[in-house]
Amino acid sequence: MKLRDFVLRRIILAIPVVFGVLTITWFLSYIVGDPITMYITERTPDAAIPGIRAAHGLDESPVVQYFIYLSNLFQGNWGVSTSTGADAPVLELLAMKFPATIELAIVAMIFAIVLGIPLGIISATKKDKVQDHITRIFALSGVSMPIFWFGLMLKYLFFFQFSQWGLPYLPGGDRYNIRRFSYEPTTGFLLVDSLVFEHNVYMFTDALVHLIMPGFCLGYITLAIITRMMRSSMLEVIKEDYITLARSKGLTERVVIYKHALRNALIPTVTVIGLAFGGLITGAVLTETIFNWPGLGRWAVRAILNADMAAINGFTLLVAFIFVIANFIVDMIYGVLDPRIRYG
Amino acid sequence: MTTTPDDLVLNVKELYLNFYTYEGTVRALDGVNMFLRRGDTMGVVGETGCGKSVTAKSILRLVEAPGKIESGEILLYDKDQETGQIQEIDIAKLQQEEMLGIRGNKISIVFQDPATYPNPVFRVGDQISEVIELHQDLSLDVLNMKIAKLELSLSASTTSENRAEIEEKINYYKQQLDNPPKPDKKSKREAAKLKAIEMLKLVRMPAPEQVANQYPHELSGGMRQRALIAASLACNPSILICDEATTALDVTVQAQVLMLLNQLKKEIGSSIIVITHDMGVVAETCNWVNVMYAGVTVESCATLELFEKPIHPYTAGLLTAVPKLHEDRDRLPQIRGTVPNLITPPSGCRFHPRCDYATKICKEKKPLLEEQKPGHWVACHNPLNS
Ligand SMILES: Nc1ncnc2c1ncn2[C@@H]1O[C@H](COP(=O)(O)OP(=O)(O)OP(=O)(O)O)[C@@H](O)[C@H]1O
Ligand code: SF4
Ligand SMILES: [Mg+2]
Repeated sequence: MKLRDFVLRRIILAIPVVFGVLTITWFLSYIVGDPITMYITERTPDAAIPGIRAAHGLDESPVVQYFIYLSNLFQGNWGVSTSTGADAPVLELLAMKFPATIELAIVAMIFAIVLGIPLGIISATKKDKVQDHITRIFALSGVSMPIFWFGLMLKYLFFFQFSQWGLPYLPGGDRYNIRRFSYEPTTGFLLVDSLVFEHNVYMFTDALVHLIMPGFCLGYITLAIITRMMRSSMLEVIKEDYITLARSKGLTERVVIYKHALRNALIPTVTVIGLAFGGLITGAVLTETIFNWPGLGRWAVRAILNADMAAINGFTLLVAFIFVIANFIVDMIYGVLDPRIRYG
Repeated sequence: MTTTPDDLVLNVKELYLNFYTYEGTVRALDGVNMFLRRGDTMGVVGETGCGKSVTAKSILRLVEAPGKIESGEILLYDKDQETGQIQEIDIAKLQQEEMLGIRGNKISIVFQDPATYPNPVFRVGDQISEVIELHQDLSLDVLNMKIAKLELSLSASTTSENRAEIEEKINYYKQQLDNPPKPDKKSKREAAKLKAIEMLKLVRMPAPEQVANQYPHELSGGMRQRALIAASLACNPSILICDEATTALDVTVQAQVLMLLNQLKKEIGSSIIVITHDMGVVAETCNWVNVMYAGVTVESCATLELFEKPIHPYTAGLLTAVPKLHEDRDRLPQIRGTVPNLITPPSGCRFHPRCDYATKICKEKKPLLEEQKPGHWVACHNPLNS
């Protein structure tokens, strides 16, 4: 019961957030440019323009236009993207591009969490020892290295040099080996499709191998942030009185750290993880460019360069949704980790 | 200080401990001596910063870097449950791994602040059963638990075959009672939980079953302190250290908890060290007192004796600072001066800059703790009342 109330409340709270984002993006795009440019070319006769304007409701007052936009949104009409060559509905394009990006972001997140949390713990428990120094240098590089440079270096080493040296090398781009496999998307998630729908283990492993480099490249910053957050919250927590109490019970250092301290230290780290996930989606632009990844990031950049307002609004809305969902999941995890906020 | 070790459980001898900080070496303990007899409740008193908590933590070897025991002995007289033989263990020389079996099992501690000592993310019952599971064998408890469960289902079941089957099982378990098998982890955990509830009952916790499933933030300060006491008593420790265990509670709860401790002491057979600022607490609960000043034991004797005829000038000062009900004074007398900085402590007797009886030798030579009268140890060159 409590859980249901909690979920309901979170959903109700999310509605104004999504509406806010929606309104602000629409308003910004309204003042930035005349949307009519999306529907005409240089060869459109001047006389036809008022007709086109009326056809799209662009001669109405801004308020009416806003409501037209809203009603279209709810009917699944997110506008038409004009920057992709052949004009296509935004919603369709998002559905097509989204899985590639989400798959990459999830892999990046797994890298970041699976490596970041243990590294943070080691760094804190071996404070000022060699392990700590190495971890901190590693984390500092993560937050200070430009991602495009890091991606290129990864590619240079693990793709180019390794192949030069005759070592097994990682693929330099794409989601799968296009010469070996042909892929008809079902869900669009390559890992899911290859395994569940095509029962093709080779394709699955191939897809995994293709995810390693871009996944790590994209996740490195988040990995660094999680490591640093975990280290500092762990250092805070092991000074707490309840850790002294745990030691006074005769528990081994392992149990003290991994049971009593970890659970408490995870609470602030989880917040960072939630926020970072949204950032991974928007941050995927550079990684997707370097590794020729057919995802949302590259598509959104092209939309921005072409002032493709429908596409930009659609992308922004989607990212807002992801932020809301990520924060929702974070709140759920909070409730599991910390009994004090369970009913809050 | 020496007495026959037969009736001792703990004997701390000439304990020295430093903290190596950036500002310099803090000479926090500079000759702590205390012994605890079986069944006694000993008070440790002294102004703030005199090293009471550090002493308590040293006894459990919980002092962390930059703190280091320099010299001295912390002798634990551990009575073997079966043979009754007494074994002497010097805690000061043990490795950290060797301490694990002593902490929470033979010596346990209750700290001052019930708000910050329980782990906020675990259930109260689990925090108690954790220590039980860690130190106790529980094979007998598991067996008894299984039998009790079967007996319950026996009274519920009706068909005769069913009953026969259950009875057979009960008999099978009962045969094992003399030599119970090692329980599996899951049933051990379950038995530990039941025992945790027993412990909560023992500390007179209202609604113990319910409290066991609650989180610390859902309890009041007094209830939390009771839960902490329950955890610390769960393994029948021979020594229970209460480091200002009642200071954070309001006066009525404080009295309740102290009374409870003295009752439990008899039920469990522990000896207690009560660390406090409060002379009233000492008078009510302790039969022996150890007075510390700036990391040094300055006086040690029976409570009555201390209140009636203190010998050390510092103790005398402490006692005049205690307000009495029938007195009518505008200001409480205080010992003049302040607690010294332990990085550059005063030479000789550490109390000399504040002492009204100080003479030349006090600055030059550190007084040793000596038995001035039978059963009354004092470290002073110019003892009072003698
Ligand atoms: N981690 C530490 N680093 C440096 N000095 C310390 C540390 N812990 C304690 N000390 C010093 O050791 C001395 C004794 O401290 P302790 O906590 O034992 O005092 P206390 O008698 O328990 O006081 P209170 O009555 O306030 O609890 C103090 O002078 C303190 O400054
Ligand atoms: S030794 Fe001297 S200074 Fe110290 S308490 Fe005794 S009289 Fe005072
Ligand atoms: Mg203290």
